[in-house]
Amino acid sequence: MKDPRSKSFYIAGFILLGIVLASFILSLIWTPYDPNATDPASKLMAPCAEHIFGTDNFGRDTFSRVMFASKYTIFISFAGVAIALLLGLLTGLPAGYYGGWTDRGIMLLSNSVMCFPGILLALVAVAVAGPSMFNVVWALGLVFAPTFARVTRVGTMEIKQRDYIMHAQVMKIPSPRIMALHILPNLVGTLLPATVIGLANMTLFESGMSYLGLGVQPPDASFGKLLADAQAYMTRAPWLIIFPALMLIIYILGLYFVSEGIRVRTQKGGV
Amino acid sequence: MENIPEERIRHIHLVKVHDLTLSFPSAKGEPAKPVLDKLSFGIRDGEILGLIGNSGSGKSMTAYSIAGLLPANAKIEEGAIKFRGKDLLSMKPAERRKMLGSDIGMIFQEPASALDPLMKVGKSLEEILISHGIKDKAERYNRISDILSTVGFATPEKIYERYPHQLSGGQRQRILIAGALLLSPKLLICDEPTSSLDSVTTVAILDLLRKLCIDMKITILFISHDISAVKNFCDRVIVMKDGKIVESDTTEDILMRPKNPYTAELLTNARLDPRKLELTPAECDRTAEPVLSCKDVSAAYTASLWGRWDENRVLNGVDLDIYPAEIKGLIGSSGCGKTTLVKTLLGLMKSEGTINRKSDNTGAVFQDPVSCLNPSHTIMWHLKEALRPYKRQMSKEDIQVAIDNAIETVGLDRGYLNRRPGELSGGQRQRVAIAMCVITRPKLIIADEPFSSLDASSAAEILKLLAKINREHQVAILMITHNIHIVRAVCSTVAVMDAGKIAEDGTCDKVLNSPESDATKKLLEAENTLHS
Repeated sequence: MKDPRSKSFYIAGFILLGIVLASFILSLIWTPYDPNATDPASKLMAPCAEHIFGTDNFGRDTFSRVMFASKYTIFISFAGVAIALLLGLLTGLPAGYYGGWTDRGIMLLSNSVMCFPGILLALVAVAVAGPSMFNVVWALGLVFAPTFARVTRVGTMEIKQRDYIMHAQVMKIPSPRIMALHILPNLVGTLLPATVIGLANMTLFESGMSYLGLGVQPPDASFGKLLADAQAYMTRAPWLIIFPALMLIIYILGLYFVSEGIRVRTQKGGV
Repeated sequence: MENIPEERIRHIHLVKVHDLTLSFPSAKGEPAKPVLDKLSFGIRDGEILGLIGNSGSGKSMTAYSIAGLLPANAKIEEGAIKFRGKDLLSMKPAERRKMLGSDIGMIFQEPASALDPLMKVGKSLEEILISHGIKDKAERYNRISDILSTVGFATPEKIYERYPHQLSGGQRQRILIAGALLLSPKLLICDEPTSSLDSVTTVAILDLLRKLCIDMKITILFISHDISAVKNFCDRVIVMKDGKIVESDTTEDILMRPKNPYTAELLTNARLDPRKLELTPAECDRTAEPVLSCKDVSAAYTASLWGRWDENRVLNGVDLDIYPAEIKGLIGSSGCGKTTLVKTLLGLMKSEGTINRKSDNTGAVFQDPVSCLNPSHTIMWHLKEALRPYKRQMSKEDIQVAIDNAIETVGLDRGYLNRRPGELSGGQRQRVAIAMCVITRPKLIIADEPFSSLDASSAAEILKLLAKINREHQVAILMITHNIHIVRAVCSTVAVMDAGKIAEDGTCDKVLNSPESDATKKLLEAENTLHS
């Protein structure tokens, strides 16, 4: 049964995501100015015909920098979620399938990670390993893994009860194969919205870390990094804050709408 | 008509359905085939009206239309439903909702999922009274105790404190009946209330409903796909097919003198008459080496609650032998350990004692056709997966031939191979499950109540299919069922289980005609009341 609302969620979500993705793809081949080229003559210019998003304190074109930043934001969120999802599946499936001590052990580990505020753990990890984009990616992947492990575990426990899994056991299908081919495809409905929400949360975390100076290193930029740099000029040059923040909002909102569309489509009940 | 007690005859129609047409229009606005097609009938005040037909005949939709519980995408094209003269379809939704419970009560098929597992039974019942505005706590308690003793609980105060999982299927169904009766409705709609219960419990529940019908002057609309349940229970019966009424008459006339060939076919299937279905009990050589033999098998479920080990012993020393090409019936009331025995025999559960299997290759067919196949994969994938352990010894062509043979054996054509389970009916899914067993050429198939969620026609077909496979492939079948007709029709031997033990084991003739154990006698007695 299709819910007409899922369609409107999808349309809204894909339009918003489309804006961010278009600027990302465009940035690979063309930006109006070199995003890292400084121009002391045009420092902190307000939006005008030449620089539609204005310029920053080094005279760099904000429009080009926002396009440039979307690349890192999208890369970090996707790579981080991929790591988190992989770790979550590798731990959640056996925990839910075998139960007993396997489950207790894995859940103890995952709960201990969840005990700490996520941002704190990621900060510690990056502080120890040194600030760089790749360290941010794996640290965030590690922090987000328990969430995926839990979703996977609960779904597995439920599907394990079904007769077709019992049937597979009777047919002497090896357990790893049962998990990968008999259980996992049935988890897509639950994991897909969790993944999309994960992307949004990952982006917010990354922005937070870049804001604290532990994420992307200059002269590279992500939305969070742009916000952090703009903070000092907030009153004199508000456009430096407004445009990266707007892009961040568009990206996150787009992801939420898509995940809501999936959720409404795959399960009954509304918002 | 002469068998209806005098005090219950008041020839007024409590409910009158007139030209009701219902369909599920698709989103694109294409004209859909009506689920109910110009349906007209009346329910007389005080009678028990049976509504029977195969799955998909529209009987549940009829009930939901009357109760106002139709799914959101159903559309009533035309017609009227009058309840004591008031048109239900022109009522406002709020008014309609108020009628549900106080005028029209309903009980469902699955008593396990209709009760909140986290709520004590008494509390669940209290919720009904609270939501209908009864504020006095003492009054609520009294009314609930009264109704609990009406539905046959000797100690209502104890039941009040129980959780649903502490009750048996029959007890839960009684609780649901109590809940439906709390607001003393005029009409009680029962949607297959007994199809998940064993015959002993079914008889008890039907007796209870009949007593309530007389004592509390309740009219009952009883929906079932099982004609035998209707037999000694309903005053009148309506037979439905494809959203239309095929025949309607007094129960006696329908059962004894069916005028419509469809009704006659339904009756034959329901009786599973071996001669009409052309079935004969399987023959087997009981001197050969058994394909499976268990000696003194015991099993228990354990759970630890705050460090205290709780052990629930379900099997207590089971001895069972199954010989090549034998069809062995395994009967027993619910909770006697049949399903646990299946799990131990299939090696899915730890057990004590010895189980000797002649070959490791055992097929299994389970009860629920909905969850027996993986919804994510095609039928082709299922069959290939079943062959996986033998893949090394087979070429691609061999696999294709094996799949074609298996799908043909179970009477489906090759077009089904690319479909997913969601596109198949219950009977077809059960066929695929059987194909998955047959394809590996097992020596033994264990079938755990494969018929209980199918309607009579599909059940008869599946039964024929299993018998055919038994003959042609010389496969032994252990058939777990609570239908003794099935046992009589195809089994050569039968074992009766009671409290985790085999109470009696022998040829069908001996066990079913001159039973020795109390368990067998009790089962047969219930079966006679139901089907005589």
